Order: sequence, then C-alpha cells, then structure tokens
Amino acid sequence: MKKLEDKIINKIYKIEVKKTIGQIIGEVLLIIIVTLSSVFIFSVIVEILNEQTSFDLFDFLRDDFETIRDNFLNNLLLFIRELPSILTPILIGLLLLLIWLLFISFKNSNKIKNKLVSFYKFWLK
Amino acid sequence: MAELSDKDIVKKIKNGEINYYSYIVKKYTASIYRYIERKLFKKNEVDDLVQNVFISFYKAIEKFNEERWIKPYLFQIVQNELKMYFRSYKKSLPLDERIIGEENQEESNIEDFKLLNSQEKGIFKHIIEGYSYEEIAKIFKKPINTIKSIVRRARLKVKKIY
Repeated sequence: MKKLEDKIINKIYKIEVKKTIGQIIGEVLLIIIVTLSSVFIFSVIVEILNEQTSFDLFDFLRDDFETIRDNFLNNLLLFIRELPSILTPILIGLLLLLIWLLFISFKNSNKIKNKLVSFYKFWLK
Repeated sequence: MAELSDKDIVKKIKNGEINYYSYIVKKYTASIYRYIERKLFKKNEVDDLVQNVFISFYKAIEKFNEERWIKPYLFQIVQNELKMYFRSYKKSLPLDERIIGEENQEESNIEDFKLLNSQEKGIFKHIIEGYSYEEIAKIFKKPINTIKSIVRRARLKVKKIY
C-alpha cells in the first residue's frame, strides 16, 4: 500500500510540476509580449505626434498661470483629436490587458510560491 | 497534523500547498483499494484504477467545494472509473456476425409458430427479408389488401399465444 501511495503522490507532483511550469512560462511570455507591443506602439504614436508637431500644443504650459487655465482644456482636446485614431485604442487595450495580467499574476503569486516550496520539499527531502 | 480536517486540507491544497494531498492519499487509499479489489476481475489493474481515482480528484480539486465530504466524492469517481473500465472490457460481436445471428433466430422463430400455415409463414419470411407488401403481393399473385389481411390475421394468432 505504501508503494502505491508513493506512486500516486509522485504522479501528482509530476502533473503539477508540468502545469505550474507551463503556467509560469505562459504568464511571463504573455506579459513580455504585451509589454513589448505596448512599448512599440507607444513609440510609433510618439513618432507620429512628433512629425505632426502636436507636442507644440503644450508650449503654453511655459506661460503664466492665467494662460494655462484659459487654454488647457482646449489644447488638450486638440491634442487628443490629433492622436492616431487606430493605434491609440490598440495601445489602450494592450495597457488594460497588461494591467489585468499583472493583477492575475499578483493574485496567483502566493499560490505559485507555495507550489514551488512544495516541489522543493518533495524533490529535495 | 492530525487536527487538520478534510476541509482545511482541501483549502491548503487550493492555496498551492500540494504536499497536503499526501494526507488525503494516505487516508483514503486503503478503503478505495479494497472496494475496487472486490469489484475487479483482474487484480493487477487495481493499482492503476486507484491511481486514476486520485489523479481525477486532484484535477477536480480546484472546483471542489470544501464544504462537501471528500469520501463520497471519491467514491463517485471510483464508480465512474469502474464504469469506464467495464465498458472497455465489454465483449462486442462483429456487425456481420450479429446480423446473421439475428436473421437465423427470426427464421427459426417463424418455423416455431405451429399455428401459422405455410402461406402465412412464407409472407412473414418475405417481410423479414425486407420486401414491401406490393412486392409480396406480386410474388404470391394476390391483391395487396389480401396480403395485408393475411398478415393481420397471422399477427392476431401470434398475439393470442404470447
């Protein structure tokens, strides 16, 4: 009976190791891919805005407080209108996905840590 | 460790402390082993089935409600595993052999009906072989309605016996 119990536990650990490694690799890869894509799209958007000289719309920020107060909302709306219409929603979507992934990873981190401790105890006991 | 209930153990396993699963395995292996051993014809397959039961339970533990008792749930898995085991060992006849067997059986049944006359037996044989009433009427050179009434009368005769 002891032999059978050990066999079952061994099998469970093997299954769980595969599952956990897959989960860790999957999550890390997804986070890296989403981060890199976000950085790439962000740089493209900045490049486009530079070419359009859209950042000049914020030159008024160097002026006195009165001017800033009068023009801030108008200039901000103008700036938003000049943002690339396709890339900006994609970037927002990717950032939301990244936040969600980080939240999930943070939520599961304790569980994964416990699993890794269990593996350590089992294989190196 | 003895103070920990099944509920606490399941909670801990759900939290990633999978080393606690060994307590479930140690607690229930003997009873499950004995139960499966009594049901199986091949004793060398008991180990595999017991192993499958615990692996299935482990895979389902994320969705398992810790308020429930573990033992009945485990035995439910045992029942499913046994069903699958017996299904895999169910003997099956090749289709051709079965059809031939059934046909022979039907023929012999018709021959057994002493109350039916030769004409009625002949019509029934043709029905079993898949002929339509129209075809049978042509073969026996009789109107289709006559064939139908012969069949009806013959059926009534058979019904009276059974």
